Amino acid sequence: MTSRLAIATALGLAATPVFAENGQEWLTRMGAALSNASYVGEFVSESAGRTERFAITHRVRDGVVSERLVSLTGQGRELVRENDEVVVYLPDQKLAIIERRSGRSDLLGALPQFEGRMATWYRIDWVGRETLDDFGPTAVVAVRPRDGYRFGYRLWIDVDSHMPVRSDLSDGSGRVIERLRFTRLDFDGDIPDSAFEPALDRHKLRWVRQSPQADDEAPAWRAAQVPPGFRLSASGVQALAGPNSPVSHLVYSDGLATVSVFIRVPKPGRVPLEGTSRSGVASAYTTVVDGHQVTAVGEVPTRTLKTIAMSLRPAAVTADEARAAANRRN
Amino acid sequence: MTDRIKEQLSAFLDGELPDPESALLLKRLERDDELRSALSRYSLVGAVLRSDGDVPAARHVAARVSAAIAREPARVAGFLRRPGRDAFLRGAAGFAVAAGVALGAVLLVQQAGLPGAEAPDAVVAQAEPPPVLPPVVEDPEIYVTPPAPGAPAGIPPAEFANYLVAHYGYASPLVRRSVGAGLISDDEPALADALPPAETPAP
Repeated sequence: MTSRLAIATALGLAATPVFAENGQEWLTRMGAALSNASYVGEFVSESAGRTERFAITHRVRDGVVSERLVSLTGQGRELVRENDEVVVYLPDQKLAIIERRSGRSDLLGALPQFEGRMATWYRIDWVGRETLDDFGPTAVVAVRPRDGYRFGYRLWIDVDSHMPVRSDLSDGSGRVIERLRFTRLDFDGDIPDSAFEPALDRHKLRWVRQSPQADDEAPAWRAAQVPPGFRLSASGVQALAGPNSPVSHLVYSDGLATVSVFIRVPKPGRVPLEGTSRSGVASAYTTVVDGHQVTAVGEVPTRTLKTIAMSLRPAAVTADEARAAANRRN
Repeated sequence: MTDRIKEQLSAFLDGELPDPESALLLKRLERDDELRSALSRYSLVGAVLRSDGDVPAARHVAARVSAAIAREPARVAGFLRRPGRDAFLRGAAGFAVAAGVALGAVLLVQQAGLPGAEAPDAVVAQAEPPPVLPPVVEDPEIYVTPPAPGAPAGIPPAEFANYLVAHYGYASPLVRRSVGAGLISDDEPALADALPPAETPAP
C-alpha cells in the first residue's frame, strides 16, 4: 500500500492539469463522465451510523442508460432502471414495484450548469487535490448552499476518469449527512444485457405498477410560497401503490435540489398524519391541507419541505389570492 | 414576527403552550433577539396589567424559561445532533435566554419608571453577561404542533418508500444514487401493507 500510495502521490504531482484548477470546470467534466461512462463498481454508503455496501453496473449505449444497483449487505434487494423505467426488487417480500415515466423524464441525469440562476443559490469552491487510497489523485470541489433551504456537496473527482469517487452530502453547518464512496470502479464499454437481469425469479414476485397517468398542464394545487429559487418544474397525476385513487404530484426544483409534493384524499377513517420522516438522504414532511393529506419528499432540509407543504393551496384559491393582492396594489 | 408566534409567546407566558411547542419556541428564543425582546415586553405588559405595585414577571419568566429548557428533549427537531455540543448549547442557551429575558424586562421597567422595579435575578444577569452562542443552523420558521400522544408521527415507512420510488426520477443527479440505495437498503421496511388490491402480472 505504501508503494501504491507513493505512486499515486507521484502521479498526482505529475498530473499537472492543462486547465486551471477551477471547481466549475471540474463539475463540467464530471457531468460529462456521468452522462457517457459505462462502468462496474462497488460503493459504500455511510449515513446516521449505518454502513451498507452496494454493487453498481452502469451502461450508456446509443443514448440509452441502463443501471443496476444491488445491496450487498442485505437480502439482495435491487433497483434496475432502463431509461424511463425503474423497478425496485424486494425479494425478501416477494415484491417488485415498477414505475415507468414517458417522454420528458430526466433520468439520464445530466448535471445542471452552476451558472446564472444556480449561482444565486450555490457557490462552487475549488478545495484542492487529495489522494484517496483506492483511487489515487482526486480533485475536490465543494458545492455550498447560500442559505439553509438546501444541502451542500463535497465531491472527490478522479482526475483520470472525471468520475465522482466519493461524495459527502452536508447540511448548512457542514455536518455530513451521508458519505458515499466507491471502493472499486472498472470501466467497461461492452457490458452485456444480462448484467442488468435481477438475480431472482421474476415470476415469483408480486408486481405493483405505479406510474404517472397524465401530465397536468393546470395542476389543481399550487404552493403559495416556496423557498427562494424553487419553481414548479413538473406536475401530473400519479398512480401509487396503496391509494385507490390517483395522487397529484408536483415537483419543485431550484435547478439542483428537488422536492416532490403528493396530494391525496385521506383514507376514510384514517387519522390525519402530521410530522417528519427520514430515509437516508431523503426526508418527508406530511400535513393536512384543506382536507387533503399533503406530503413533501426530497433531499433537502426539513424546513424546505415544511415551507412548501404548508403553503400548498387549491389552485383556485391561489388565483383568488393573487387577484386580491393585485386589487390591493391597484 | 408572525401573529402565530405572538400567540405562542402569549400562551407561553400564560403557561398554556404545550410542552412540545414550548421546546420549539425556546429553541428559537436561543437565537432570536427580537423574540426575546418581545417576550420581555409581553411579560411586562402582563405584569403591569396584573400589578399591585410589584412586578415579579422577570423573575417568573426567567425561572420558567430555565425550567423549560432543562426539560427540553435532546432531539427536538428529530435530526441528529451532537450530544456534547447540545449539552453546552442547552446549558448556555438556558442561561442566556433566562438572563436576556430578565435583563430586558428590568430595562423596560426602568425606562417606564414603574415602582418596584427591583428584580434580584436581573442583578445576577447584569453581573454576568450571557455568553455568545454559535449560530443554530436548523431554523424552523413554522411551528407545528406535534400530533397528540398515540397519533402516528409522520407517514408510515411503507408509504414513504412508495413516494420515494415516484420521486426517484426527479431527484438531483448528485444524490439520485443515494436515493436509490436508500430504497433497497435493508433499513427500508416492508412495503406489503401498502399494496393495492389488484396486482399486475409480471412484465
